[in-house]
Amino acid sequence: MIKRLEVDGVPAVLAPTSGPTHAGLVFRVGTADEPLARRGVTRLVEHLVTDGLGTDGQQLGATGAEHTYFHMQGSPAEVAEFLSGVCAAVRNPPMARLATVRRLVQGTPPDRDPLPMWRHGARGFGVPSYPEWGLAGLTEDDVREWIARYFTRENAALWVAGEEIPEGLALDLPSGERRAAPTVTTELPVTPAYFSRTGGTVAWDTVVRREARAAVFATVLERRMMSDLRRRDGISYQPHTEYVPRADGTARIIAVADALPEKQEAALGGLIDVLAAMRAGQIDPDEVSTVVKLTCEGLRDSELRGARLPGQAFNLLSGREVQTLDEALAEVRAVTVEDVTEVAAAAYDAGLLMTPPGSSADWAGYTAAPEMSEAALPGRVHRGRKDRGLRLISGDDGISVTGYGQIASVRWDECALLLAWPDGGRRMIGRDAVTARIEPTLYRGADRVVREIDARIPARLRIDMPPRDRVAIPQPEAPHGESRLAAWRARWGPYFALLFYGPFVLLGVGALVWLLVESVTERRFQGQAVLGAVGLTAMFGWLSLDSVVELRRRWAVRRLLRRR
Amino acid sequence: MLPAMLPRQSNLDPAAAYPKITDLRAALDAGDWPACRELLDASEQAERTYLITAVSDEKGLEDFLRGVLRGDPGDGTAGALLGRHLTEAAWDIRTRVRAEHVSREQFVAFRAGLAEAERVLVDAAARSPHDPAVWTARLVTARGLRLGLPEIRRRYGRLAEIDPHHLPGQQQVLQSLCTKWYGDAALTYEFAKEAAAAAPAGAPNPVLLAEAYLEHSDEVTDLDRVRAELREAAMRSVWHPDFRRTHGWVRTMSTFAMAFSLLNDQEAASSLFRALGKLGSRWPWEYLGDPAATIEKFRARAGGDT
Repeated sequence: MIKRLEVDGVPAVLAPTSGPTHAGLVFRVGTADEPLARRGVTRLVEHLVTDGLGTDGQQLGATGAEHTYFHMQGSPAEVAEFLSGVCAAVRNPPMARLATVRRLVQGTPPDRDPLPMWRHGARGFGVPSYPEWGLAGLTEDDVREWIARYFTRENAALWVAGEEIPEGLALDLPSGERRAAPTVTTELPVTPAYFSRTGGTVAWDTVVRREARAAVFATVLERRMMSDLRRRDGISYQPHTEYVPRADGTARIIAVADALPEKQEAALGGLIDVLAAMRAGQIDPDEVSTVVKLTCEGLRDSELRGARLPGQAFNLLSGREVQTLDEALAEVRAVTVEDVTEVAAAAYDAGLLMTPPGSSADWAGYTAAPEMSEAALPGRVHRGRKDRGLRLISGDDGISVTGYGQIASVRWDECALLLAWPDGGRRMIGRDAVTARIEPTLYRGADRVVREIDARIPARLRIDMPPRDRVAIPQPEAPHGESRLAAWRARWGPYFALLFYGPFVLLGVGALVWLLVESVTERRFQGQAVLGAVGLTAMFGWLSLDSVVELRRRWAVRRLLRRR
Repeated sequence: MLPAMLPRQSNLDPAAAYPKITDLRAALDAGDWPACRELLDASEQAERTYLITAVSDEKGLEDFLRGVLRGDPGDGTAGALLGRHLTEAAWDIRTRVRAEHVSREQFVAFRAGLAEAERVLVDAAARSPHDPAVWTARLVTARGLRLGLPEIRRRYGRLAEIDPHHLPGQQQVLQSLCTKWYGDAALTYEFAKEAAAAAPAGAPNPVLLAEAYLEHSDEVTDLDRVRAELREAAMRSVWHPDFRRTHGWVRTMSTFAMAFSLLNDQEAASSLFRALGKLGSRWPWEYLGDPAATIEKFRARAGGDT
């Protein structure tokens, strides 16, 4: 039975456990709160406040998208000492250790989930797709500011799996206010969508309502992937899914099908088929009952181990009440095949698929997620050096970089991050995750654009990067003109051939007719002239034959296409 | 002109040997889907796939079948036929010439058409996962959409689970394994040999060896071995007492006949020409030009003049 308490003004949940005491302190802050230019600050704080606590190498904290927590399992005294120590460090961070801790944090970069930026852009829940560029430049003040905003009594919750609140536990936290979870934004205009990317896996994610039946769906999906992709087809070794509930009442479901490079196309096809089958309601009722049973067993087991407590503490922070085991069990038991089918259909419609490089999923009804901007912004145009196909445009609204059918536009007021290199190279990332690479070496008079960017983008969005290798700085190159010329020739060649040879053919025919008419009217047959005219006609006719055949083929195709 | 000078030509219409095709076309023309279903559901699996393929070029099927599917989205037969029909339409745009003679616009429209077909088939496979005609159709779209050999093998795996000797599907896999698509002669032969050996005696499947040879005849050097191999295949198939003159038998025999003709095995070719009588098949003879004329030429050469 979970008890609701309050410890030093921090809401808490307490329940007995079979093992040693296990307790944790959670704050409502995570990577989704980090502006892209501060990406990494939460993890830095997490490591800074646990620095010197516990034994070396012990995992004492974790930073998620919405929550950051610190936890310890041991005797009540150890637990009390650790959590009190965390609170003391939050109140008085060991800034002398900042540089050292920063290096440790930089040395253990988190796994970057590639999907979120495609769905959420370069902010909020999309931030985990990006590197922690901000770490290097974070100052003591930045860290203090972040702590003051999020690591407060009002923004914390406690869970304790044990007989009672450990003696001597003091949560002496600074005061602040509850910070609501960031809203979930989306940059996908159409779903289901796909993008392709290098990497060892095929992956899919979706957003559904946060409900027991959605969690059941995620497990049914995993078992189906296991049975189809691994046991039947042998294309994926460890396919799995994950169900991540969020504070706003939605949940993210992720499905990953790992595969060897030579099997990735099959993994994609297999995953697409599994998702389509579930959407079509091809769900085995026995599977659902099995999953319901397993989920209930899992819940009971978690209850015994106190493993349901962290989730309940997270719930307190988003204003939800504690859910008893019986309530949770009842919710899961009520899930039917129809429920799972309904979730499957909703999940399918909101899906985002990551395909292997060079593959697409348009053939299965997925729309390509936008990779670039729809239009270039108005402004002053700087043409490319050597390659006049490239353009850099700077205007009142923002920056555009265009060339070879690609457009990257970032508006001044929608810039999420500016990366600046000492050599003048700039990279602007828009909130929609479109990246404009401004390489002044490639354009005429681009120094002026760099100055404009530096003046327009506020310092808080700017990260100064270390100097680049000379080879990393792009140099202007002449466009590959040869292929363009060849394409032009292929397109217009037949017309020119006809234009040039055609008149000769007509001339030859004309001469022939005239000679024949003359031979009849004048009764004079000029054999040599006729032979010459025939030869002329034949020669130029033969020369233009290929063009005629080619053009006729084109017309036939055009008619065929029009008929469609 | 003297009528006697006209070459006697084979009847290349598959319906000539197999009237079920005519019945099915009639039912489709009449818009009588229950009749179509009755005819198809009564056929054995490979026959059903064969029939669906045979009538997929029928005009104006799309609206009709989409209507059927609206009424019953789970009708795998309608899904398979619509998928096959859209695939045919896409291939008409691409035309059967080699890729370098196909324009960009053609490729774009071809791909769009195939994607349309595949979307129908993804849904059909989701709802009727045990329908061999759907998986066979998906082997064709996978090839045209360049989904890769691993995906083609996965799809064939699904088909083989349902019917391990599904010749129409095996023929599609064989095409994909050819040099002209994604494989080579060795892969093609390996697949053909395996499928031929696994099939029961008298089954048409050993014809895959003849197809493998026809697709790579210019790469074959050891003609005697190939000839012996093909004779053995024919013994287990067209020359076997259990060989049935059912769906597709003309094409099977005709394919063997062409392979033997090209291998200069006149005796074998002539026996097959005799068995075929006036019947013939467009494929694979069209590889050599006008099929009717080519068949006559080789029939005369084989001396199978009856």
